Amino acid sequence: MTLPDHEIIEECRDVCRATVGVYVLTSCYGCQLVMATVEKIMEVANLVDFKCFYMVSSKSSLHEPVDIAFVEGSVSTEKDLEELKEVRKNAKVVVAIGACAVNGGVQSWSEGDLNYDELYASVYGDSKIKYKGLQAAPIDSYVKVDYFLPGCPPEEDEIMYFLSTFLFGSYPEEIDYPVCAECRLEGNPCILIERDAPCLGPVTVAGCKARCPSFNVPCIGCRGPVPHDNSWFDSLALTFKNKGYSKDYIRERMKIFCSFDKNLEERLEKVFGRKK
Amino acid sequence: MRYVKLPKEKVCEFLERLKSMGTLYGPKKISEKFYDFREIGDVKEVEFEYNRTITPPRKFFFPERETVFTFDTANVEIHETLPTGNRIIIFGVHACDIVGLRIMDSRFIDDLPDPYYQIRRENGIIIGLSCLPDEYCFCSVRRTDFVDAGFDLFLHLLPDGYLVRVGTVTGHKLIENSPEYFEEISSEDKDNFAKFETKRRSMFTVQGNWDDMRYRLELHLDHPMYMRESDKCLGCGNCTLTCPTCRCYEVKDLPTLDGAGGERVRFWDSCQFRSHGLVAGGHNFRPTKKDRFLNRYQCKNAYCETTTTAYCVGCGRCTYFCPADIQFKENLLEVYGPGGGA
Repeated sequence: MTLPDHEIIEECRDVCRATVGVYVLTSCYGCQLVMATVEKIMEVANLVDFKCFYMVSSKSSLHEPVDIAFVEGSVSTEKDLEELKEVRKNAKVVVAIGACAVNGGVQSWSEGDLNYDELYASVYGDSKIKYKGLQAAPIDSYVKVDYFLPGCPPEEDEIMYFLSTFLFGSYPEEIDYPVCAECRLEGNPCILIERDAPCLGPVTVAGCKARCPSFNVPCIGCRGPVPHDNSWFDSLALTFKNKGYSKDYIRERMKIFCSFDKNLEERLEKVFGRKK
Repeated sequence: MRYVKLPKEKVCEFLERLKSMGTLYGPKKISEKFYDFREIGDVKEVEFEYNRTITPPRKFFFPERETVFTFDTANVEIHETLPTGNRIIIFGVHACDIVGLRIMDSRFIDDLPDPYYQIRRENGIIIGLSCLPDEYCFCSVRRTDFVDAGFDLFLHLLPDGYLVRVGTVTGHKLIENSPEYFEEISSEDKDNFAKFETKRRSMFTVQGNWDDMRYRLELHLDHPMYMRESDKCLGCGNCTLTCPTCRCYEVKDLPTLDGAGGERVRFWDSCQFRSHGLVAGGHNFRPTKKDRFLNRYQCKNAYCETTTTAYCVGCGRCTYFCPADIQFKENLLEVYGPGGGA
């Protein structure tokens, strides 16, 4: 049993201003865009001192110390890795924000199936690129991450919750239940039961208020697996199998955003037998 | 108890009358297979023959999420945000769900009075509706298939309308103030009521009485069913979130950005979630999925003194809405062994 370790910052109120950095590794910049366009962005800007936020200011620097660092994107190049290490060194609290930073993102889909050299060759052939690439990986593969704010992109209310709890001298509570539960609370009918939709709601961490199933679209798992080994890929794979889905289809779908989950392959093997 | 008849052709007018008294909710078809209690705009949308709603009626009195108070850190004050006490009418509640509400009352009113629940409940009117069981129903063995309390009016289906049982003074006044919708019951109505009841009782897939289920389960906590079935479980909490008697909640503080205040919200929790058993210091008294799975089976079969029934009312939701198709009733019968009534 490990005791929870919650890194917090001093409550500022009227006496100081928390310093915040928003950094990007390999990603679409969508998380930053959401952060920059939250309804209360002006209030946030008045309360904190942004040392780095490319989407908002060209006067951004990687090298200044900050209280809170929000890191978007996966580590996909050596440059990403250097920057990430610099951010970690300078920050009190590091928050991985978005699917790429939290779980590796879509670019890590082939993890465990294809290695970097194969992927490189299929895109660039013999050509050379400026940076040395790396197999796309979530940032906690390389540095200690204090909090995870998943989503593709993250939800505005969660961003505000994270910011407000940090500024309060507290920390955001982790969600450890699936989208499936939120879908029920939203009052939706269940598309998995009703029309055998390949919905990943039961294994995907909640927080989006079942955004996609609410529009009749099966969850694709963009928020990543429920933490603490509570993403029951085996139970869901069995459910899908009983509905006629193939092993390859199920595995591919689950891997889009969960390829870095250490339980995925083992739990799939439980249902389908060992990989040849 | 008073009995009157609501003829078929007066049903819509009666619903209109109910609608004029407050916010009317009733069962509606929300998708191909599912029903839910929703606000009724057009009374023609009310579904009279529905099997079960995806959310239980407790949500009207104990909502999925609510702010219980706001706080002001500068003046160190809290301000309760009590419900306004608007009149709500819930039409078409099945017998099992009415017992479910009485079980909720026993915890949120009798046991530890909860003003948020109590204010809403006092302003609620419950109109019961008879039903015929499907293969998921086992209210009969739970003794919740016929209710004698917990409703203002209860409508029993007749070939040409409804036989109405009056349960409270509020229900009595509803009838007194709208005499134009009601008739005296005839001897034919009485016969039809009895026929319906006989038919209803013959349709259950389990017969008998499960009052001793709790003890059967307690004596076999190591039954292999738990491991086998919890292995299929997704841990999604649908069984508890759709349950008419689950009442665990979690609270969370949401400070404002400037730290000057904030609000405390409470929202439905589930014993199927890891954090439900997590306490200060990092200890978890239900660390595995099997522990959590077993907890629900024990909790639902415990005894509620107020209703003298189990906390499970046999509505079948936890099975009907389980994405992993885990069969609660069959699993209970397996542990019970021969004589369970199947």
